[in-house]
Amino acid sequence: MRPEIWQPLLLSLKVALWATGINLVLGVAVAYGLSRWRSRFNATVDALLTLPLVLPPTVLGYYLLVLLGRRGVIGGWLDDLGLNPVFTWQGAVIAATLAAFPLVHKAARAAFEGVDAQLEDAARVLGLKPLAVFVRVSLPLAARGIVAGALLAFARALGEFGATLMIAGNLPGRTQTLSVAIYSAIEAGDDAGANVLVLVASATCVVALLVASRLTRERTPRRAA
Amino acid sequence: MRAPLFRRFAALAVALAAIGTARADDLVVSAASSLTNAFQSIAKGYEAAHPGTHVVLNFASSDTLLRQIVNGAPADVYASADQVAMDRAQSQGAIVPGTRVDFAGNQLVVIVPVGTRTRVAALGDLTDPEFRRITWGDPASVPVGRYTQRVLQDAGLAARLAPRAVLAQNVRQCLDYVERDEVDAGFVYATDAAIAGSKVKVALRLPSPTPITYPIAVVAGSRHAAQAQAFIDYVRSAAGRQQLASYGFLAP
Amino acid sequence: MRLDIAIQRHLDDPQRPFALDVAFRSNVGRLVLFGPSGAGKSLTLRAIAGLLRPDRGHVTVSGRTLFDDFRGVDVPARERHVGYVFQDYALFPHLTVAQNVAFGLRTGLCNPSRRRLPDAARHWMEVFEIDDLAGRHPSQLSGGQRQRVALARALAPEPQLLLLDEPFAALDTALRSRLRDSLVALQERLGLQMLVITHDPADVEALGQQVLEIRDGRIHGDARSG
Repeated sequence: MRPEIWQPLLLSLKVALWATGINLVLGVAVAYGLSRWRSRFNATVDALLTLPLVLPPTVLGYYLLVLLGRRGVIGGWLDDLGLNPVFTWQGAVIAATLAAFPLVHKAARAAFEGVDAQLEDAARVLGLKPLAVFVRVSLPLAARGIVAGALLAFARALGEFGATLMIAGNLPGRTQTLSVAIYSAIEAGDDAGANVLVLVASATCVVALLVASRLTRERTPRRAA
Repeated sequence: MRAPLFRRFAALAVALAAIGTARADDLVVSAASSLTNAFQSIAKGYEAAHPGTHVVLNFASSDTLLRQIVNGAPADVYASADQVAMDRAQSQGAIVPGTRVDFAGNQLVVIVPVGTRTRVAALGDLTDPEFRRITWGDPASVPVGRYTQRVLQDAGLAARLAPRAVLAQNVRQCLDYVERDEVDAGFVYATDAAIAGSKVKVALRLPSPTPITYPIAVVAGSRHAAQAQAFIDYVRSAAGRQQLASYGFLAP
Repeated sequence: MRLDIAIQRHLDDPQRPFALDVAFRSNVGRLVLFGPSGAGKSLTLRAIAGLLRPDRGHVTVSGRTLFDDFRGVDVPARERHVGYVFQDYALFPHLTVAQNVAFGLRTGLCNPSRRRLPDAARHWMEVFEIDDLAGRHPSQLSGGQRQRVALARALAPEPQLLLLDEPFAALDTALRSRLRDSLVALQERLGLQMLVITHDPADVEALGQQVLEIRDGRIHGDARSG
């Protein structure tokens, strides 16, 4: 394969895996917190966390740029530490993470709310600390829903374009993900190149989802049993 | 839970970590999308003339690039498709004013689908009822749209053609509409029409009241200011001009 | 006095405000709290187990104070050493019978292994004759088998008090009388104190050494003492 194809492909996979991994930790933690500690701000927090699903990705990218750019509030502080996420693959991870966050969060939230609270009570009475209750009871029982959400998030992260272009730029071999490479090929009038990239992107997504669904199906007999 | 699954993911993440790692000594050139082909070729020429340097090109719309630079993205050179975007960059202190220079020119053309029979001899012919839909770039964000708007205003046609307008987000969208016969005519640059080749027909070349020029400048705060200036000098050298000309760009 | 309870708790559910105000002492092995559903039986059990915080009162089990608002004592549920058999048993659906029984024997972050079973878990599975079901999941068990798993799981960590919430409600009538007898035999063998809540007079008849009747969140005297 030519570098114009495998570089964006590997980069997209890397970015999507990181984004999915971060979202698994972040989305699950926030979802568990919100599903267990009820307060009257819950609905508001939930709405705010869903915003990335609603806002145009370019707008999301713009706000990220304003925050994380060298002249931004957080970016200026990061710059003093010698870090600058703009035009880096880490910037692409931030964009993809934010864009995909609601998918993991929503799925995890629903999964945790579906866990029978009495099972958690039973674990507490049997001597478990809150973290152990989470790891041994809540998390395994919510795992299916969380994995389903993570798969969607992976696909979303793989296809992220608007916010990525804004914050990570379009630097070939560096921050040019599959979606951005497709955009670039089309802008350059390279329809044939764009078609190949579209095929690669579609195939990657289909393969990833098939592999993931097999991984989850392997466990079905013992879960349904 | 399922340790093997996560271990597989972790291994893959580590293997991928080597891709796309930043190198601090690269020259980052942010250029308008319409310059994609020309600048790819120029960057190769520059690297050949300056061994040991590495040019990283960043293509997006002039306004996206502007927002990136204004917010401190680590670009070194900014090449925009019109003066308005560069003026904004300058007024916000994002470029070094003394380094700003025009390096190429372009021409506005009217394109029509290849099957079109009606002849377009002058801009006024577009008022013919046969041209039901006409596309050009959104003047708010697309430089070629701003030129088109001005040309139509000067010709006194802006109000008459406005109801037929299909505003596009970028030049490529204009080309696609015309190629696929979704609109009856479109305004693009001569260089864009050249990219589309035989898929569209250039019906009319328009003299612009204000010359269409492409400015380039060193980005304020660039960590490679000397290299950035060397790149601009190369773009304006005989070799650079020749490459620009081969993609249809005019001298400024 | 092995069990000394005084619990006041107000629930301001707008649809059904409820005030729980119960106090009792008991020295017997098998104490039955009898009353209709919605009388506050389950709330009382939850308060004793540490799953519900009373507004006022105290909970003392075998001389150990688990809760006392006046002295600012509130031992968390995990440190109360109270066994709890839930009405529908609340077995962990993702774990095998053996893992369920061994669940409370290790309180760290890992669930018990499927293969290597602690001796205590093996012992309790033998006591309840569920050792041949070790590898099954709760969804593959009958009602009676589930009850035995729940009992084994609750007893394995050697609690000082066993709380049973309607232990026979989920079973068919034929099975109930047999299991009542074996529960009595078990209690007598272990010498452990048991608090059973029920709405079924047959349970009262078979189990109760001391019976307290509860209605609308209040105790209405000893129905029978022993």
